Amino acid sequence: MNNNERDRAYRYGSLPDPAVLAAAYVPMQDSASPNYDTGEALARGTLFPGLDLPFMNIVNNELSSTPLNEMMAIDFVTDELELYLDTHKDDREAFAMYQTFLALKQEARERYVQRCGVISQSDMLGMDEYAWLNDPWPWDYRPRMEV
Amino acid sequence: MFIYEKKLQFPVKIKNPNPALAKFIVSQYGGPDGELGASMRYLSQRYSMPYPELKGLLTDIGTEELGHLEMVAAILHQLTRKMTPEEIKAAGFDTYFVDHTAGVYPTFASGFPWSAATIEVKGDVIADLNEDLAAEQKARVTYDNILRLSDDPDVNQVIRFLREREVVHYQRFGEGLRLALDKMDQRNIYAVNPAFDR
Repeated sequence: MNNNERDRAYRYGSLPDPAVLAAAYVPMQDSASPNYDTGEALARGTLFPGLDLPFMNIVNNELSSTPLNEMMAIDFVTDELELYLDTHKDDREAFAMYQTFLALKQEARERYVQRCGVISQSDMLGMDEYAWLNDPWPWDYRPRMEV
Repeated sequence: MFIYEKKLQFPVKIKNPNPALAKFIVSQYGGPDGELGASMRYLSQRYSMPYPELKGLLTDIGTEELGHLEMVAAILHQLTRKMTPEEIKAAGFDTYFVDHTAGVYPTFASGFPWSAATIEVKGDVIADLNEDLAAEQKARVTYDNILRLSDDPDVNQVIRFLREREVVHYQRFGEGLRLALDKMDQRNIYAVNPAFDR
């Protein structure tokens, strides 16, 4: 693939031929690849370089790698793939990637709960206290967000 | 049903309280193109949708918007912590403060309370999806305008994330419309409303 073709592969999509009149058309995204790695996807707000269209071309730096940010990044890619699959349910490659991320998501969740605290109430299975009420609550400011 | 996860979709950590910013960012909580309206619009529209792709899309994007609502609330909560009466007056936050103290209330930046009149559920596949495409654009512009007005890097990082999600949602709603049109009568897509005429 030369540069032009690679550019086309993610920056442009396909339109119907022919297209009926009096309807709005957005091109279909043809593929879930190429894609950003998890940390970059979270920082930029999308997994897909072709949809990454920042205001004034200013983009976020990558976030520091804390257990919380790592879990967020994996959860975010899973969310992003779910929206893609809602409109591309037959894309086997994207579904295989989704399977991989579901497994990563479960691992990251278990790791986080063990080290840092409960994310959902069912995480308390087997615990010896009602940890749901423990800080941190997600909206509170914490100067040190190492967890 | 919905189950709460005790985390945000993207981290919110605002070092410097600044009620002057909260004064206009509140519009993305309860304003005309804010996240409360977005989640109510999509989660309400899904019931009349006849196609599984659209039931899924509206459920998933509507749910994500609830997460964005929480992120905007976290920004407001952190921007308005530890305020003195002098700071409140100097920031012009007094008109909000007198009614809500440092609570988070769904309102336009102008003070008009959140209104269901800012959303539509038409019960028609093509009309509702076109409404959703427009809604994503309006939310995107509101975030553009917030980025023009705010110089706080901690706030802007979150706003840039939320803004980019509007672009992605626009693409997905466009694809959803395409999938719906493909299922309709190609000689006259307006012959019937597949959400009502079975």
